[in-house]
Amino acid sequence: MRRALPDLLWTLLLAVAVALAPTVLRALFAQASVSYLSIAANAISLAILALSWDLLARTGQLSLAHAAFYGAGAYSAAILAKVSGLPLVLGLPLAALVAALLALGLGSVTLRLKGIYFAIATLAFTEVLKAVVQELPTGLAGGSAGLNVPPLFRPHFVPGVMQRWEIAFQRNEAYFYVYGGLLVLAVVVSIVTQRTRLRAAFTAVRTNEEVAAVMGVRPARAKLLAFVLSSALVGMLGALEAMRLGSVIPDGTFAISTTVFALVTPIFGGLYTTLGPILGAGVLSAVEETLRRTFAEGYLIGYGVVLVASILFMPRGIVGLFTRLARRRSAPSASDTEEAG
Amino acid sequence: MDLTLLAQGLVSGVLAAGLYALVSVGLALAIGVIGVINFAHGEFFMIGAFLAYQLFVSLGFDPLLSLIFVAPALFVIGAVIYQTTIRYVLEAPELNQMLLTFGLSIVLQNLALVIWGGDPRSISGVPYRSVGYQIGGISIGLVPLGSFLISLVLVLALYAVLARSKLGRAMRAVAQNRIGASLVGLEVNRIYLVAFALSALLAGIGGVMIAVIQSPTPTVGFAFTLKAFAIVVLAGLGNIRGILWASLAVAVSESLVATLVPNGDALRNAVFFAIIFVVLVVRARRTA
Repeated sequence: MRRALPDLLWTLLLAVAVALAPTVLRALFAQASVSYLSIAANAISLAILALSWDLLARTGQLSLAHAAFYGAGAYSAAILAKVSGLPLVLGLPLAALVAALLALGLGSVTLRLKGIYFAIATLAFTEVLKAVVQELPTGLAGGSAGLNVPPLFRPHFVPGVMQRWEIAFQRNEAYFYVYGGLLVLAVVVSIVTQRTRLRAAFTAVRTNEEVAAVMGVRPARAKLLAFVLSSALVGMLGALEAMRLGSVIPDGTFAISTTVFALVTPIFGGLYTTLGPILGAGVLSAVEETLRRTFAEGYLIGYGVVLVASILFMPRGIVGLFTRLARRRSAPSASDTEEAG
Repeated sequence: MDLTLLAQGLVSGVLAAGLYALVSVGLALAIGVIGVINFAHGEFFMIGAFLAYQLFVSLGFDPLLSLIFVAPALFVIGAVIYQTTIRYVLEAPELNQMLLTFGLSIVLQNLALVIWGGDPRSISGVPYRSVGYQIGGISIGLVPLGSFLISLVLVLALYAVLARSKLGRAMRAVAQNRIGASLVGLEVNRIYLVAFALSALLAGIGGVMIAVIQSPTPTVGFAFTLKAFAIVVLAGLGNIRGILWASLAVAVSESLVATLVPNGDALRNAVFFAIIFVVLVVRARRTA
C-alpha cells in the first residue's frame, strides 16, 4: 500500500494534464494549437499502442499481431456504423469486445509457442486476418477499397461567435480528450497488473514457465489474461483512429508498421514498466516531428539512426538509463565498479 | 485443360521456390550461427536489386555480369554492418536485436528511397527477359528458370561448405557452443563476421534476380524478410535442408492458388501465411 499512493498521484496528474492541455495550448499558441493538438493525439495513440504491447510482453509473449487487433477494432467500428443506426460511440466497446474475443482465440492456440515461433505465428495471423477482411462481401467491409467511417465529433460553425479555425480546434480538442481518456485507462490497467500479484505471475511466466507452474501460477491463464487486456485496449485504439482518420482500408489498417511501432516504442522507452512506453512514445514522436520539419525528404533515415543508436548506447531504454544515473548518484563507487566490469 | 493449368501452377511454384530458399538460407545462417534475429535481412536483398539496376542503367551491365560486383559489395556491406552494430547485441535479449535490426531496416529502406525514389525499377532491357519455352502447353520463362538454377546451386554450395569445409565446421561449432568453440581456439568473432557477410551476399544475389523478374521498389526487402522468417521458422531453426522443403511447400501452394482459384493472385500472401500458422500451431500441439 505504501507504493500505491504515488501511483494514484501519477495517474491523477496525468488525467489533470490531459484535461488542461487543450486550454493551455490554446492560450499559448492560438491558431497553431490546432496542429499541436493533433500531434499530441498522435503521440498519445503511440503511447497506448506501446503500453498495450508491453502489457502482453510482460508475460514473455513477443507478439507481431498488434496490427491485427488494431485493425479488427477499426473494422468493427466501421462496419457497425455502416450496417446499424446505433450511436457511433458504441463502436468503442464493440471494438474492445471483438479484439478481446479474437485474442482469446489466438492466444489459446499459440499458448505453447515460444519466442520467435510465437512471433511468426502472430505475424502470420495478422496477414491471414487482413486477407479475410479483404475477402468479406464488399457490401459489408468494402473489399480492398475499404470503408469510410463517420467522424465521432462534428462541431458546428457559429458565425459571429467563432473564428474559422475554431471548428478544427473543437474537433481536435474533443478527440484529444477521448485519446487522453483511453491512455489513462491503459495506465490504470498497467498499474493494476504491476501492483497486484499479477506482476509476480506475469514475471514468473516470462522468466520460466515451468517454475511458474510449480510455484502455483497458472501460465495459460496469465498469458490469456494479458493477451485479452492488451488486445481490447489496442482494439479500442484502432476504432478511435478509424473515426478520427475517417476511413479503414486493409493494407493501411492492418499495416505491419503498426506492429513495428508497437514493439519498438516500449523497447526504446524501457520494457516491462508503465512509464517506459509512455516516455518512449513522447520522445519518439518529438524526434519524428522535429526530423520531419527539418528534413522534408528522407527524415526517416534519422529516425532509424536514433533507434540503432538507442539500442547501442542505452540497451535498457530511457527508463533503464535514468535508473542507472539515479543509482550512480546515490552510490558512486558501487556503480563505477559495475561499469568497469 | 485443367490438368495443364495444374501442371503450370506446379512448375511456376517450383521455380519460385528457389529464390525463397536462397533468401531464407542467408537468414538461417544469421539466426542459426550468430543467433541474431535480423529483421534487416531483406534490405540486403533490396540493395542487391537496386545495385544491379544502377549498374544496368549507368554502365549497361547485364545482371549476370553485375553479380560479379554486387556479390562482393554486399559481402562488404554485411561485414561493415556487423562490425558497427550487430556485434554489440550478440548477448542482448531478442527484443534488443529486433529493435536494432528494425532500425537498420528503416535506415536502409529510406536511404534507397532517397537515392532511387519510390517508383518500381526494373531491368527491362535485357534481351532474355521475354524468352520462354513451351513444353506440352506449359510455359517456362528463361529468367525464372535461370534464377531457380542459380539459387539451387548456391544453396547446395552453402550446404556443402557447412558440411565439408573447415570454415563450415567452424561455423557449426560456433553455432552449437560459442564458449566451447573459443576454448578450442576458434576466433568466434571473425567467424560471426564471415557468416553475417555471407548471409548478406546470398540475399544480395537474390536481389539481383528479383530486379530482372519483377520491378522492385525500396519496400521489396521487408516483404521478403517476413517471408524468409516464416520459412526459416517453418523449417525449424538451424535446419538448412528443411529450408528447401519449406520453400518448396509454400511456393507451390502459393502458385497453385494463384493459378487455380479465380482471383487467386490476391490470396498469395494469405495462403503463404495460413500454411505457416497452421503448421506452427499443429506442431506445437503435437510435441507437447
